[in-house]
This record gives sequence, C-alpha cells and structure tokens, in this order.
Amino acid sequence: MGIEETLNKYKWMVPLLQKADRETRSTLMKNFRQRKKNFFPEGEFKADVDNLIKCMLCPNMCRFDCGTLQATLTETMSPAYKARIGYYLTIGKIDYADSEFVDLMYKCTNEETCKVWCPFDFSVVSLLETVRDDINAKGFMPDFCKEQIEKLKNSNTIEGYNIFETYKEKGIENIETKGKDDVFYYIGCESMKFPEVIKANIEILKTAGIKFSTNLDKKICCGGPAFNIRDMETAIEFANKNKELIESTGAKIIISDCPGCILTLKERYEKAGVKIEKEIIHTTQYFMKLINEERIKITKSIPEEYRKITIHDPCLISRNLNDTESIRNILGKIQGLELVEPIYNNENTHCCGWSGTAHWADRDLAIKQAQNRVNELKETGVNIFISACPLCELGLAYGLKETEKEKYNILDISEILIKVL
Amino acid sequence: MDLEDFELIYKENRVKIKDKTKIESKLKTIVGLNNYSTKKIDILAYTKDSTLIGFNWEIEGKIAGIADFITWPETIEQISEILKLANQEKIPVIPYGEGSGVVGGAIPIYGGIIIDMKKFNKVITINDKNLTVTAEAGINGMNLERYLNTNGYTSGHIPQSLYTSSLGGWIAHRAAGQFSTKYGKIEDIVLGMEVVLPQGEIINFKTIARASTGPQLDKLFIGGEGTLGIVTKATLKIWPSPEKRALISYAFPTIENSFNAVREILREQIYPAVVRIYDKSETARHFPDIDNAKDKVMVIFICEGNSRLVDLEESITREKCEKNTGIECGEHPVEHWLETRFRVTETSSMPPYKIVFDTIEVASLWDNAADVYHRVLESMNQIKGVLMTTAHVSHFYPNGVGIYFSFGGVPPKGNSDLKFYQECWDTTIKAVLEAGGSIAHHHGIGLNRSHWMDNEWGNAMNTLRQIKKVLDPNNILNPGKIYIDTWKRSEI
Ligand SMILES: Cc1cc2nc3c(=O)[nH]c(=O)nc-3n(C[C@H](O)[C@H](O)[C@H](O)COP(=O)(O)OP(=O)(O)OC[C@H]3O[C@@H](n4cnc5c(N)ncnc54)[C@H](O)[C@@H]3O)c2cc1C
Ligand code: SF4
Ligand code: SF4
Repeated sequence: MGIEETLNKYKWMVPLLQKADRETRSTLMKNFRQRKKNFFPEGEFKADVDNLIKCMLCPNMCRFDCGTLQATLTETMSPAYKARIGYYLTIGKIDYADSEFVDLMYKCTNEETCKVWCPFDFSVVSLLETVRDDINAKGFMPDFCKEQIEKLKNSNTIEGYNIFETYKEKGIENIETKGKDDVFYYIGCESMKFPEVIKANIEILKTAGIKFSTNLDKKICCGGPAFNIRDMETAIEFANKNKELIESTGAKIIISDCPGCILTLKERYEKAGVKIEKEIIHTTQYFMKLINEERIKITKSIPEEYRKITIHDPCLISRNLNDTESIRNILGKIQGLELVEPIYNNENTHCCGWSGTAHWADRDLAIKQAQNRVNELKETGVNIFISACPLCELGLAYGLKETEKEKYNILDISEILIKVL
Repeated sequence: MDLEDFELIYKENRVKIKDKTKIESKLKTIVGLNNYSTKKIDILAYTKDSTLIGFNWEIEGKIAGIADFITWPETIEQISEILKLANQEKIPVIPYGEGSGVVGGAIPIYGGIIIDMKKFNKVITINDKNLTVTAEAGINGMNLERYLNTNGYTSGHIPQSLYTSSLGGWIAHRAAGQFSTKYGKIEDIVLGMEVVLPQGEIINFKTIARASTGPQLDKLFIGGEGTLGIVTKATLKIWPSPEKRALISYAFPTIENSFNAVREILREQIYPAVVRIYDKSETARHFPDIDNAKDKVMVIFICEGNSRLVDLEESITREKCEKNTGIECGEHPVEHWLETRFRVTETSSMPPYKIVFDTIEVASLWDNAADVYHRVLESMNQIKGVLMTTAHVSHFYPNGVGIYFSFGGVPPKGNSDLKFYQECWDTTIKAVLEAGGSIAHHHGIGLNRSHWMDNEWGNAMNTLRQIKKVLDPNNILNPGKIYIDTWKRSEI
C-alpha cells in the first residue's frame, strides 16, 4: 500500500485520536516508533519480518484452500502457523537447531492458493523463502535440501545421474543448435521422465515446420530446486549457464513443457539479476499460436477412448502465467471431445502436491495432497486427466492407488493434440 | 527449545497427568499413530484460537494455554472412546474446529486432550426435495458453501469467518452470518444433529422440519460451546441460489433514524438478507469516498431471492428509508462491502503497535437499542487509554438487534494489556446490562464472558450448571468455560 492510500485508510482515526488524552497519544507514538525495537530481531537477517508478523496474526483467512493444510488437516500446517514459526525462528524464540520446526519452513508447495484469498496478497511460500535464507546463512540447511543441491552439482540435473543423457535409450530425438533457430524447445528435467510427451512435442513442432533445437547434450536443469531451497549461489550459477545455452541457439522464442522451468527462466532469474531477453512461453501457449496461425491443423477427430476428458490446471500456468485459456482453446478445437470441468479449476485449481520443496520435506504430505487432487478429478466421473506440466503428471500419478492405475490415464495436452493432427 | 520458553497465560489448575505414557499408548490405540501427536510443533499449534488479545500475546511470544495430547479422530466411535478414556483418567478434552472463535472457547487452559474435528470434513448428502444438506461437523465453512454453490444452493449462513470456521464451531457458538436477517442464525438453520455426549454416549437428533415431541433438547447443543457434547454431524437447511439481488444504501443523520427505518421495514415482514448500519465513525472508516454519507450513518441492504419478491422488498425498503430521512447512496457502497467483507487485516495491524483491540457484540430489544449504543460509547470513552470505540449493527429481528462494538487502545503506564482489555470488556458489558441488553449476540461466552453469566442468566444459571453436571459429572469436556469465571481476575 502506498503512503497516500495508507493515510486515506486511516484518516477516519484522526478525530478519534485527537480526542485521546496526551499520555495515551504519547504512548501510542512511542509504540509506533519502537515497533522494530520491540518486535524485530537484532543483527543481520533476511527474513521478511514485517510480513511474517502480519501473516501470523491473521486468523488464517486462506486456510480452506491451502493444499498442504487440506492434505494434513492439522493446525500445524496452517499458513498463519507457518508464518508464526518463521517469525519465532527469526527472533530466536525457536532454535534453528530444532529441525522439527525448521522442516516446516519447507512444507509449502508453490501453488500459492493463499495468495488468491489473502487480503495482503501474500504468498506464504515466498515469505518462508526469506526464512530459508537465514536458515542457510546460519548453516542449518536441512539434509533433504542438501541432497538436492548435491544432485544438481553432481549431475547438473535433479537426479543422481544426468537425466538428459537418457534421451537415446528413451528414443527421443536430439536436435543440436546451429545457432540460428527460431525456437529453443527447452525440455525440463522432470519432462525427461515422460518421453512420449517430448516425442509428441517434437513431432508437433516438426509438423508446423518450425526451426528448433533441443540441445539435450548440453542441456542442464534450470536450477529451480536451488531457487526453492534458496541456495542462491548454486541458483545463479545455473542461471548463467542456462542463459549462455539459450543465447547460443539464436532463438527468439523459448518454449518449455515445464511451467516450473518457465517461472525460473523468466521471473526468478531476473530477480536474481540474470535477465533473459527472450519470449519464454509454455508449449501449450505456443501450440495455440501455431493453431491460430494455421501452421498446424486439427484434421482428425478424437479416437473414441479419449473422447471424454477432464483438466488438471497446473498452478503455475493458471496462477503464475495467468493463462487458463490456451489449454481449453486447444481442446475446444478438437471435434467430438467432451471436457468435464472439475469443481476446482482455472485459477482456483488445486495443487498436485509435487511443486516446491514439500515433497522432499514430507513425502507423505505430498502424496496426500496428490490424492486429494486426484479425488477431485475423479468426481467428474471421467478417467482421462489432461494436464500440461510434468510435475503435475508425476504428482497425480502418486495420487492414484496401484489398483487404479489401469483405470485412470494421466496425459499431457500434447499427447492428445498429436492424435488429431 | 522447550515450550516452557513461552510464557504461559493460563497456568493455574492445570491437570496433573500421572501416567502420560499409559494415556499416550491408549490414545494411539484409539485413533491410530497418524492421528495422534505430542510433538512440540503440534502442541504449539493448538495453544490459541482467534481471541484478539491472543494476537498481542502471540507476537510477544506468550501462549494462552497448552494441551498435552493432540488427536485427529476420524470416526465418531474414536471420539466416544477418547471421551471414555478422559472420564476414567479425569483429563480435560477440548474440541477444536478451525480456531476462529474469539472468546477463548478452544483454548486448552487446563491442558488435556485436543480433539481436532478437521477430519470430519465430508458433505454426506444434499436433498433437493427437502432442501437440506447433511455434512460432518468439522467441515470448513467455505468448503461447504463452495460445494453447495456448485450444486446451485446456499446455506445462507455466511459469517465473516466463513473461510476460517467450521460447521461444528458455528453450532457450538450459536453463530450468525452476514445474511442472517433473511436466512436466520445457525439455530434456525440446523434441523438435525449427531452428538457425542461427554461420557462417550452417541446420540442423534433426527432431521425433521418441526416436531412437538417434548422439550427441544437439541437446542442445548446449539450454543453448548463444546462443553455439553461434541457435534459430529448436522443437517442444515439450504436454499436455491438467489435469482436476483438488489443492492441498496442510504445515509441517515443519526443512528436513531437508521434504527427506525430498519425497524419499520422488518415490521412489514420484509427481510433483506443483509442489513448493516454503520455508526458515524465506521461510516467514515468504510465509506470515506461517499459524499452523501459524510458525517452520517450509512446503512446498506441486500435483498435477494425470487425477483418479484426482491422488487417488492426493494421498494418497501426504499420507502421506509426515505420516510426516515435517508439519503440514497446507490449500489457502490454495497458493492464495496461485498468486495471487502472477507479482507480481515485488523488482527494483523494492531499488535505490532501494542494496541489492544477487540470486538464485543451484544443484543438488545428495539426499545433500548439506542440506549445500549450510547451508553457503551460514553462509558468506554471514560477509560484511560481507549483510542476509539465504534459500532455497526448487522443482525436484525422484528423485535430487536445485535450491536457490534469495536474498541482499540493502549494500556496506560503500569497496566498489563490483559488488565486494560478486561477493563474495556467490563465497562462495555456493564453498560449493556444496565441498559437492559444481553451480553453476547453471536460470538458466545468461552472464557471472555463467563464472568457475567450469573448476571445475564440470574438463577437459571444454576439449572444450566446442573445440566452440565448431569451430562459431564467429571467436568472433563472443555472445562473452565461458560460456567465458572476463569479469566485471570487475579491480575486485575
Ligand atoms: C475474522 C473473524 C470473523 C468472524 N465473524 C463471525 C461472524 O460473522 N459471525 C459469527 O457468528 N462469528 C464470527 N466469528 C467468530 C467465529 O468464527 C465463530 O465463533 C465460529 O463459529 C467458530 O468456529 P470454529 O470452527 O473456528 O471454532 P473454534 O474456534 O475451533 O471453537 C469454538 C468453540 O467451539 C467448540 N467446538 C468446535 N467444534 C466443535 C464441535 N464439532 N462440537 C462441539 N464443540 C465444538 C470449541 O470447543 C470451542 O469452544 C469471527 C471470527 C473471526 C476471527
Ligand atoms: S497468507 Fe494471507 S490470508 Fe493466509 S494466513 Fe497469511 S495473511 Fe492470512
Ligand atoms: S504456498 Fe501453498 S502450501 Fe503454502 S500456505 Fe500457501 S497455499 Fe498453503
């Protein structure tokens, strides 16, 4: 809130304050002056204390839509309580050595439904990231985070091995850049677990006659996990390497099948001081454009077994890229396709459990969240779930029981699109 | 770190648990390992509700009350078993909904076992013909309402805490929603209930539109505040989503003019869903941009339902407002309210400045409503340290009103925040009682108001205490609330 807005908001108090006696007014003035002295920690800290305080003193107005709270159904996971623990850690009321409390600072997904309802526009996970900065600075990074950083450092990807090197055995075609591409198809680490999706994307791009590269021999992680963990040194290292690779392709447009990569390349790099001056969009958005420009044409009708579908909107596409249309527009163009919307859709979508740090900090929590989401999708009565994010597709799969895996089919939008071109 | 590092506010009369390990193992057997905890991180999470003084304590690193065990039962039988165990071992049990209560009802002041109701979160059925919904009592209000809305209905119970309160909590505190003038308060909405009594017996009040089958025992549990039983399931009235909404607002020169207008509207059996009167201070606060409302009392109305009925309600509402010198202010103030009604920022804004802030809602008949309002304001303004007392009136009946006061101030030198807080409460409640009002309209009694229960109830309070004793002979269910004065009187 700007100063003018704040003054306007509190203007009504002026006549009331004028009526107060001198002592009361002076106590109040003192309290205003001493707010930081009274409630802020001494010394250096990165935590966003002001906003942690606001959030912890809120009656949890976003609790009903917080995925981790709804997965665990405990006050401990409530947004305001997370902020309260963040504050107590920061002021030293709780010791950083108390891992039970420190771990809670990582039990947020990046879904940010809190932000949809919050009167202050807070995203709790962003507040907790500032607490993570201090945890790291004080040398208390949890082991489950260290493990991820180790993997990044050793393999340049999110796995213990370089997952991009598996492209040959997975039958994925690699197209190395000659420096003059129109498009760099930036494949996410997580996407490498879904070779059929990558193959579909490559085929769609080829059908449209796009000059593009995938550069899997040089490809590394976007560094997203390091940003989540707030190991900024590692994060910036990845940002710089990626910037170099991206620029080497000459492409003006970077498309990715992973909304997490897009968030990292676009927003997080810039915040960390590494700006990539390219158009960075999701494959869905790009394919919509290709359809509009008639560079790809939907010619076939949908095979019967895929006729009825539901959508799981990835949080990062609907709330971060603010795009709930592209995926629906593509599906809307497919003849004979019947879309049954789940109750929580578009910008009110719920998380699959697999974003952010929560699935490292507490796998059971993530699975429970995935189950909640899968149950919501199942309520549509449809057994094909369409999404557009490899993490969502992974998470949703965790939400299905072994016995249900035959019945339900989780597909990426590209896998549907390819069937009708 | 130990939880002892946090200063405990309610430390007297805490239960002494002799064999904690034995209780632990029994609780684990009852609810299962996943639904039980004694971890510090969980215990600390259940040390508060939304009592506003509690937010001042929270930022100072103090905790109100502390439980020994946290449980999240999943079945009614588990709740029953916990209660039986608690009776054997004489351990308090505190039902916990969403912790939005503002009178300390869910604070475990004597320690004991928290029963968090969150796992009772399912909608069981909607019956379109009967216009009812049956749901488990731990369900979050917004999640219930969203479910109803997607199916084309509303419960009409929309408290400001909709996002952060549970069905069981509403029943426990006899809650009232913002649309209550049309749809009724929770006691008008509940048609059937399942309750576990303090000694573990499960009882059922069958769903019925109305019956003449002796005393209305179910009403005992609506407002029971988790002291007479734990509500596990309830059937509520629902309504088809309204076809039309009319947004109306008028500004009046005095609170009396506004009272007269609304009283005359209700006298005609016109029930706008929303009626909200803002006194001059609150009008200045919420509607600074409405020129017609400068230095006036703003009243907003929403009429909703069948469009022909709405048209009629709107025209009578306007007629009565104009007759009572109301000046039209258009739809904008109502739209503004609709947009901002859940944007609660006050609880976060005051404690960092050590401002003690709270709201006290009281009730009165029409003939003394203005008297209650003026007396409270006058007496609160005498208290040293009080910076503001304001009011709005948001619940109406043909016979009377619910008035909602807000106060804020800073404790004078040498006073603790609790002492100052209690002085404000004492003063308000005394003024209300003197003017013939009632001490609570919809937030309930809990800890904060138990001090005045004898005054409010007279010797009927003895009967209430006897009922409590019959149902809960060991006084294990949510002890220290309603029936005895547990406020920290010693500090005054
Ligand atoms: C911002 C804000 C706005 C509010 N607006 C309103 C409003 O408009 N109208 C209104 O009426 N109130 C309002 N309240 C007060 C509060 O939301 C209500 O009292 C609500 O009914 C409490 O529900 P809860 O689930 O949060 O209960 P809790 O705070 O968890 O518990 C309240 C009491 O109910 C008992 N209890 C909880 N569940 C059960 C159960 N299943 N069976 C038996 N006892 C149980 C507890 O033991 C405790 O005594 C508001 C509060 C806040 C913070
Ligand atoms: S994120 Fe916003 S709405 Fe949610 S608890 Fe924090 S302050 Fe309240
Ligand atoms: S970021 Fe997600 S998990 Fe964290 S509080 Fe917000 S909604 Fe809940």
